Amino acid sequence: METVAPIKEITDLIRENGGKTFDLCYQCGTCDVVCPWNRVRNFSMRKIVRQAALGLSEIDNEEIWRCTTCGTCPQRCPRGVNQIELGVSLRRIATEYGAFPASVAPIVTVSDNLRAEGNPFNMERAKRADWAESLGVKDYVEGMEILYFPGCYLSYDPRLKKVAAATVKILNKAGVDFGILGAKENCCGESIRKTGNEELFKHLARQNIKTFIEHGVKKILVSSPHCYHTFKNEYPEFSVHFEVIHISEYLSELFATGRLKPVRDYGQKITYHDPCYLGRHNKIFDAPRDVLKRIPGSEFVEMQDHHENSLCCGGGGGRIWMETPKAERFSDIRLKQAVDVGAQVMVTACPYCITNFTDSSLGLPEGQAMEIKDITEIVQEII
Amino acid sequence: MALAGLIANSPKKDTLGDVLVVGGGMSGIQASLDLADAGFRVYLVDKSPAVGGKMAQLDKTFPTNDCSMCNLSPKFIECSRHPNIDILSNTEVVRVEGEAGNFRVTLNKKPRYVIEDKCTGCTSCVEYCPVQIPDPYNQNLSLTKAVHIHFSQAVPLITYIDPATCLYLQDEKCNICVGVCKHGAIDLHQKPEKRELEVGAVVLAPGFETFDPLPRNDYGYGRIKNVITSLDFERIISSTGPTEGEITRPSDGKHPTRIAWIQCVGSRQVIPGGNSYCSSICCAYTQKQVILAKDHDEAIDATVFHNDIRAFGKDFERFYQRAERLPGVRFIRSYVAIGREIPESRNVTIRYATDSDGVKEEEFDLVVLSVGMTPPKDARDLANKFGIELDSRGFCKTDPVNPIATSRPGIFVSGAFQGPADIPESVVSASGAAALCGQLLAQQRGRLAREREYPAERDVAEEEAKVGVFVCHCGANIGRVVNVPSVVEFASTLPNVVHAQESLFACSTDNAQQISDVVREKGLNRVVIAACSPKTLEPLFRDTVREGGINQYYFDMANIREHCSWVHSKEKDDATVKAKDIVRMSVARTTLLKPLEEISLPVNKAVLIIGGGLAGMTSALNMAEQGFEVFLLEKTKDLGGMARRLHYTLEGVDVQAHLADLTGKVYRHPAIHVTTGATIKEVAGYVGNFTTKVAAEGRLKEIRHGAAIIATGAEEHKPDEYLYGQDDRVLTLLELEGRITRKEEAVTGAQSMVMIQCVGCRTAERNYCSRVCCSQAIKNALKLKETQPDTEITIIYRDMRTYGFREDYYREAAKQGVRFIRYEPNGKPLVETVNEGGRNILRVTVADPILGQKLALDTDLVALAAAVVPSSSSLALSKLFKVPLNADGFFQEAHVKLKPVDFGADGVYLCGTAHYPKHFAETISQAYGAAGRAINLLSKDSITATGAVCDVNEDACVACGACISCCSYDAIDFRETARGKKAVVNPILCKGDGLCNAKCPTKAIYLNHYTDDEIDSQIDAALAG
Repeated sequence: METVAPIKEITDLIRENGGKTFDLCYQCGTCDVVCPWNRVRNFSMRKIVRQAALGLSEIDNEEIWRCTTCGTCPQRCPRGVNQIELGVSLRRIATEYGAFPASVAPIVTVSDNLRAEGNPFNMERAKRADWAESLGVKDYVEGMEILYFPGCYLSYDPRLKKVAAATVKILNKAGVDFGILGAKENCCGESIRKTGNEELFKHLARQNIKTFIEHGVKKILVSSPHCYHTFKNEYPEFSVHFEVIHISEYLSELFATGRLKPVRDYGQKITYHDPCYLGRHNKIFDAPRDVLKRIPGSEFVEMQDHHENSLCCGGGGGRIWMETPKAERFSDIRLKQAVDVGAQVMVTACPYCITNFTDSSLGLPEGQAMEIKDITEIVQEII
Repeated sequence: MALAGLIANSPKKDTLGDVLVVGGGMSGIQASLDLADAGFRVYLVDKSPAVGGKMAQLDKTFPTNDCSMCNLSPKFIECSRHPNIDILSNTEVVRVEGEAGNFRVTLNKKPRYVIEDKCTGCTSCVEYCPVQIPDPYNQNLSLTKAVHIHFSQAVPLITYIDPATCLYLQDEKCNICVGVCKHGAIDLHQKPEKRELEVGAVVLAPGFETFDPLPRNDYGYGRIKNVITSLDFERIISSTGPTEGEITRPSDGKHPTRIAWIQCVGSRQVIPGGNSYCSSICCAYTQKQVILAKDHDEAIDATVFHNDIRAFGKDFERFYQRAERLPGVRFIRSYVAIGREIPESRNVTIRYATDSDGVKEEEFDLVVLSVGMTPPKDARDLANKFGIELDSRGFCKTDPVNPIATSRPGIFVSGAFQGPADIPESVVSASGAAALCGQLLAQQRGRLAREREYPAERDVAEEEAKVGVFVCHCGANIGRVVNVPSVVEFASTLPNVVHAQESLFACSTDNAQQISDVVREKGLNRVVIAACSPKTLEPLFRDTVREGGINQYYFDMANIREHCSWVHSKEKDDATVKAKDIVRMSVARTTLLKPLEEISLPVNKAVLIIGGGLAGMTSALNMAEQGFEVFLLEKTKDLGGMARRLHYTLEGVDVQAHLADLTGKVYRHPAIHVTTGATIKEVAGYVGNFTTKVAAEGRLKEIRHGAAIIATGAEEHKPDEYLYGQDDRVLTLLELEGRITRKEEAVTGAQSMVMIQCVGCRTAERNYCSRVCCSQAIKNALKLKETQPDTEITIIYRDMRTYGFREDYYREAAKQGVRFIRYEPNGKPLVETVNEGGRNILRVTVADPILGQKLALDTDLVALAAAVVPSSSSLALSKLFKVPLNADGFFQEAHVKLKPVDFGADGVYLCGTAHYPKHFAETISQAYGAAGRAINLLSKDSITATGAVCDVNEDACVACGACISCCSYDAIDFRETARGKKAVVNPILCKGDGLCNAKCPTKAIYLNHYTDDEIDSQIDAALAG
């Protein structure tokens, strides 16, 4: 057995970078047993926490990049360790040293893109609002009811542009007075922050905040739970407070107030996947279910893991930009859960989830099929 | 702060002599009995329809696996028969006014819709009641009726009607029970009754609740049928439970073979809805359940998923080993998550972590959640009514130097309302509460007490033997194996038997009453009860016989449970035959029994307390304050004992300030005579009348006393490993504490420090846990962090045993950066000195199980958690007082659960670390407990001794002395008679073991109640079958 000496300086460095609670760990193993990684391969968060407590962290190791920040282990940790905070701290140190293992390498390009164009795809900033051109979406001006902030994926990704379009259709139907920022919109920065690039996050956040203030924004409607999370919980670090609402909450509200009315049958068996950043991180479980239960002619079923126990799609914490081998994708397991309860459509409310599940659905065996839809895509069909 | 409680509770002149005890569980019952025996009137109030509390729901108790109800039931009856105790069941406290010594209490007696005086407990109403409801006594796992008896041994043993489900009380729809009851005992129009009491003191013993996993659906509880709580399991394995002790699972009633226990459910967690503290009892009760499950069915595979194993109590370490070594039992160190419920089989998968092999998922048939303890549901309400404070966790707030005192003088707390506690601790605090009430109300002792009255004893010497035989079902314990009706039928054919009948529970109040009645009505002059071992219930049944108006020695117990149904559970027919044989033997012997007289002796009111440490001084002061003369012996020059080396507790008590205060009070008290430098030379006499010779300052003095308390403490083990004694940077935790207090440079200048736990205990040589060291390490680590936060502290441990509220300090230490590294016994840390760069470095190397690496820690100091070992004087003292030591050399109490501060030898009591290592507050609690028990004895003017002792036929005695040399109790002596020296038995000292009978060459010495004739008749009857 190898003999090593604990290094206090490393422990201190992790603390300085934001890891504050790893000392509390009593090594019960809860984080490991609830971690989705251990459904596909061995991964020990407990070991990462232990290494930090003893100043033996391996900054150049691929393991520190695995965590999808799904939030299951900090929610269950009996000692109150915040594993996400620790992971981010370790990644900050790795980022500072430029220590990126091969599978993490795309992060470097993504960061460059975010800095240059405000999106992770190396797409031109100027084309950010192209999706809205044919839909007659207005530019946001002060005094409008709502700023709609579609985020990077809904702005550029061909599959997710449909979600943006569905959202616009719904808002119009409900008579909502809204606008978008178009090319002035920047990535919210949530996921790049989780990869340890604090400086870039701050840059993006400041840009957005500046734009919001300049446009007199009060209420922001978002499609991505990641945008939701950072606007609501992290932007206040800059001493600003905008009212943020996720589309699933907003839909529920529009139905409840009668601004939207279901008029057509949907006729499918549907299930709902709680995105980590909507459910576990922000406790929005009921609003999307409330919306789905209003869909006429449909049957709603829960999968084996739901609400707080929802199984991560694998896309958080910057993992959406990293390559995950086919055999190690949580989304495949999740999709099987949907198949197992006989659902025909898996509904969710997060662009990462849709991306990952759509990918997984292509690999379903012969005779099995699953439609992956954003909640807005269903609603637009029945109003 | 120190002793504030004591001063406030010092005897007052104008107090009342009644005491209110709230809560009829084990602790409340014990407090009531101790108070009542000590001469106070007691009102025992319980909001349930019957007393018993949680212990009544348990099957067996750890670590002895004694039957819980068998221990408890005699206490119920003792309470119900006690002339000084009024049991007020189904009653709640409404209001408490007044002050210590003079409280006015308003009670509300809830309607039970059954007239208590008229109900005979016949249960006809239960039979006819049409409403089935889940039975709360059986954790809702079986059904009972809207009108029912709480449980078979309940006191009072009468029915009550559940107003929430009774059809009449809901909608006036049904009153079948009214018509069915032949005694006119049902009153559906009963109203709540107010009652006012005036009492001098109050003991709160409301107990605890088990953690409810339902609101959070912990581990699928409430959603997955085969996930149950440990209390559910307790009922399932109990012979009086929903399945009569057959282990079945809820989903399909099948016998589970793979059972998992999950530890720390609701405990040791800072998650919303959970409790941060450790519940203290779950590790041991789970081990008990594992052992019992394996007893029930060897095929069961038991898996316990745990964090630290907290086997900190006396004999717990061995108990854990016993469970762990059973075949098919695994203890896996991991918290878990439920994988899923398998829809077809309803089995449950559990995911657990391994150190080096990743996460595994395994299937189980049944999952038991080891739920923790929470405050009673109505704790807040109780606190408001009694004007006491609760702590942040919702338990009763207590004085750190007196865990029995609440924030309000005159109101005391015992049992688990103090915080998580097991049964012996609850018994100790109950006796302690009685002692503190006694201290407050001493002036009133005996004024309100009533004597028990028995019917006159009928002289039956000339009558022919008329034997009554009562065959007990013991619920299902006997009845499921032995064919009881056939035994009854057989018994009635035996010579001299004039009456034979069955009993469901002979020990229940109504059955016992019925036996007394039959004795009187049928003119019986001999009674045989075929039931369990005489060990626990013989005194009760003798009392029952006495109630029937005949001499109590006209009674014999035929043990058809331990000797028959339990050991032959799989051979029912043969067991029935054997039961008949046992009954025949008993009847034969019984016909020859003679009436015996008990001896009454005066009691000397002084107490001798041996050991002038915290325990001894606390007992001394309490007893002296109550007017008893105290002789306090200390072998060293100064009072204080081990506490002199302690400076602070985890909870922040200034130990030296408390000690100085206590010592001063002890020295100043006129009723306490302190002798330091004392050595006991000789102990003679017996309960109530001891004479002890003590050498001190070159003089020998003789002390006469009625009781003795052994409080001789313990010592610190001197380590012989880890360079202790070789390198002065290696010290013990106690030495470290001294140096921290003295602010020595070696400590204040230390950059780093390593503490190593379990030094000298939890080994083959000392197979026990020293209980206090984990908390001591944490205490010292936190103290150091206060003044030198940059000092790196590492605690190397096997299991962190910071049980109870100490868990919060463990987490706090971690929060402050104290590092914890776990080691296995086969991977003990290595302490060495290494020369590097000309520096002599102290280095500790230990493997970390999670990292799979060895950690080398260079350190300035190493502190060893040296074991707490028995005092070197224990052996000599045990011989002098003829009280036993356990395998580890600590004094062995009379009964681990129910007599934790008594010895088997009457009149000698025990407290403090002489009993077992314990914390500061625990020691104080036990010191009050021992005082309470001693006062129980000393408050009587006389005591009685059993008649079943030896006697000598002087005509046959040849004065050979064989009997004298073999007697372990020094009960036999020679005396000069006209015909020379003859052996004579001191009946008070004789324990009736009969050893001398076997040694006597001339059969001159004989044992009353077990004479040769009586035993021969039994043997003849055995052979006659």
